[in-house]
Order: sequence, then structure tokens, then C-alpha cells
Amino acid sequence: MMLTGKTALVTGGRGGIGRAIVARFIKEGASVFAADLTPGGSLSGDADDGSTFLKLDVTLEQDARDAMKTVRAAAGKLDVLVNAAGIEIEKTIEETTLEEWNRSFAVNATGTFLTSKYALPLMREAASRGSSASLINFGSYDGFIADPGLAAYCATKGAVHALTRAMACDHGPEGIRVNAICPGYIDTPMLQSFFNGEGSGGAGGNLETLQQAVRDVHPLRTYGTPTDIANLVTWLASDEARYASGQLWVLDGGLSAQVQQMKL
Amino acid sequence: MRLSGKTAFVTGGRSGIGRAIVDAFHAEGADVVACGRGEQPDGFDARWISLDVSDPNAVCDAARILGELDVVVNNAGVQLEKTVVDSSDEDWDWVVGTNARGVFNVCRALIPQMSLGGAIINIGSISGTVADPSMALYNASKAFVHGLTRSVAVEHGPAVRCNAICPGWIETGMLKAGFDLATDPKKAETDAIARHPIRRFGKPSDIAAMAVWLASDDASFATGQMFTLDGGMTAASPLNPGLF
Repeated sequence: MMLTGKTALVTGGRGGIGRAIVARFIKEGASVFAADLTPGGSLSGDADDGSTFLKLDVTLEQDARDAMKTVRAAAGKLDVLVNAAGIEIEKTIEETTLEEWNRSFAVNATGTFLTSKYALPLMREAASRGSSASLINFGSYDGFIADPGLAAYCATKGAVHALTRAMACDHGPEGIRVNAICPGYIDTPMLQSFFNGEGSGGAGGNLETLQQAVRDVHPLRTYGTPTDIANLVTWLASDEARYASGQLWVLDGGLSAQVQQMKL
Repeated sequence: MRLSGKTAFVTGGRSGIGRAIVDAFHAEGADVVACGRGEQPDGFDARWISLDVSDPNAVCDAARILGELDVVVNNAGVQLEKTVVDSSDEDWDWVVGTNARGVFNVCRALIPQMSLGGAIINIGSISGTVADPSMALYNASKAFVHGLTRSVAVEHGPAVRCNAICPGWIETGMLKAGFDLATDPKKAETDAIARHPIRRFGKPSDIAAMAVWLASDDASFATGQMFTLDGGMTAASPLNPGLF
């Protein structure tokens, strides 16, 4: 078991990728707080996964404070924080309203900032007890190269990448490692929404044809699953990754290793 | 005229990107010497020397003829469409010999005789950063060019500046040959253009325009960098559902 004795908090912990992370963390012996807006997150039904549900709107400072108070009372420390809460708006900047832009940054960038800010004292507590405290943000391969019609999302993920490096610089000396996972196409409700969206070119098209076409563009000929992401998050959370910090870990089935795949 | 008084040497100057750089340098007032395998092409204004850059002894001989240089452009390159497993030892010697060793040969022989403040411009490729399928040795040889560019900049600055231009799909004979192999060349071309935010392929003159800038004194603070010129292609994800 890779995470025995560790206390972890996962934001978006009841959503697509978050649930897979929570399930794997529990399997690896961690005590896990699954923080989300509702017990079901973005998926239907409560997850009876052995985690402790924490109601958390990552955009609200008071919620972040309250969540950490709960963690302090229950565990007195936090070894692992995973900032997995995120939203995606499928629009170009001209179609994006100011409200949508602000909402994107509020959840993806400010949410990462607020949760991390109030988790740091508890993570220092874990580090002072000899643990390799690990903070894992969710960037995206979209923070490096653009998908069409996802302007605000791409920008928020670029912000998370820069914040990740900055936090790694600032808090490395305190024994806290900071990394970002940058997923490519992962089979989640967010991806299905992208498939159906106007900007993706998938609107009105045959979903299965579109999905197969997406698989075919990947060198591994498949898009990822939440479990694939959870596998790397688990490693980064574990003490095996004790020298890993300040990095942006792309996990995309090789998608971004190639140039555009022209139909020749 | 931005390159008046400068003497420039361009490898692979016969056609395509190299020829466009020769013409642009000439138009900006530079004294240009170009090289290539074989005799001087017809209607070629600049001075010409026959040289295979993959041959270190021949490059040393050429260095004696060339004398002091202000600008060196390592453009000579070859392309081979094969995977790692399909590539032979002869393929390695051919691709790596010209694209990697050729750039090394020219840098080693000519840096000592470049003027103070001289500029080296290497032609890298987007393929040195992201992979074109079935072009393994080409991709790797261009990554070598990128690495050597940084080393030359670090080791030989401030005397010499060294940068690389990384072209995307540029309209040359090579590109047209690629489309001729497609089942439906017209459709393949339309699809490829749609993947460029600028909605066209590059022209050799686009690359030459950046080479002029990098060779000029306007670029006196630019060194050690890879400058991508690809019409925005690699800024976008290779996965574009709008084109399925």
C-alpha cells in the first residue's frame, strides 16, 4: 500500500476523475476527504466509497477555511491535496461572457489558489512529521496547446501551470512538493459534453464515429480513463515521488508528442 | 538594406528554403556565398561552391576559401520517410550525416573565422519538438540541431549569436511530393490547410524573412532560441474534432 497513514483531500472528489483518485487513495491505505459541491458531484448518485464527504465550493474563501477546520479536527494534518475541481466552457472568447470567463477562473484558478492557501498550514504539519507532503494541481495539455473553442479553459489551465511552478518554489523549502497533472482526452462527463458541444464539431454528428476518430488520433489508439490519471496522482502523492516537484506531468496517450495528423 | 556590408554563407542554397534565403539576403545587400552538392544552378546570382556538408574534410577546405563570415545559415538537409525499425545503417549515415553532422561540421569549421557579433542561423523543424509519423531519423536529427543551437549560443556568445528557425509545412517540392502520394491529393491539401490557423502553408520567403531578421543587427539580443514559423499549426492540438 502506497499511502498508508496519509490523510488526503481531493476537490472535485465526487466527479469524473476525482472519484477514481479517491477510490485508489482508499485502496492504498489513505484516509480521504472527498470535497465537492454535492455528495454525487458531477455524476449521478452518491459515491459509497469509504471517503468522508466534505461540502466545498472551491470559489468560496469561507468554504475553504471551514473544510480545513474539519480536516484539522479529524486528522490534525494533511499529507496530500489534490485540486481536481474544474469546469470547462466550450466557447471562443467572442462567445464567452464576462460572467463565464470569471466563473472559469473562479473554479479552475482561484479554486486552486484558495484550497491550497488554506491547506498549506496542515500540509506543513504533515511535512514536520516527516511525511513527504504532496500538493497536486490539475493542469491540462490544453495549457500547452489549444483545443478549438475552449479559450477560457485553456487560459485557466495555463494559469494553473504557472501557479504550480510558483508554489513549488515557495513551499519546497517547507517540505511540500507541488506538481500538476496535465491530462489529455479522458473519458469523463466533461469529455462527453465536449463531444456534444458546438465548438468540437461534434454537434449533431454520430457520437460513436466521433469517439473512434478521437481514439485513432492517439498514438496509443485510445483516450484515457480516470483510472489512468489516478495512477499517476497516486504515485505523485506517495513517498516514491519524494524528489518530484515543480513539474507539469502530461498524461495524454502520446497525443501531444505528434504534429497535426493530416489525412493523407 | 538591412544586411549591407555583411558576408553570408548559406548551405543547401540550390532550391526551396535555402534559395529563398539566398535571394532575400542578396536583396538586403549582403554578399552571399551558397553551397550545395553539384554545380552552380542556372540563373544563380550569388557565388557558389560545390560542397557536401556531411564531409568534414570538404567543409574544412571550403572554410579556407570562404574567409571571414558575418552570417552562416545551416539550411542543408534531407528527409527520409521511415520508422526506426525500417531505417538502415545507410539511412542513418545519410540523414544524420547531413542534418546533424553537417551542421556540426560547418559550425566547427566556420565559428573560428566569423566576425565578432556574427550570427549563425540553423534550420531546425517543428519535427524536432513534436513527431511527424514515419520520419524517425529526420525528427531526431532536427532535435540534435535544436540542442546544438543552444550549445553554440552558450559556448560561443557573445562573439557569435546562434538561433534556429523551426519551419512547419512550407511549400517546397518536398511538400507537393507528399500530397501527390495521397489517395485524394486535393482533399489532403484542404485538410492540411484547415489545420493551420493562418489557413495557408508557409512559403520559403516566410522563412527567409525571419532569417533576414535574425541575421540583422535588429536581432542583436536574440540568441539560443528556437523560433517556430508554422502558421500556428503546433499551437493547436493535433486532435481537431471539427475535421472528422
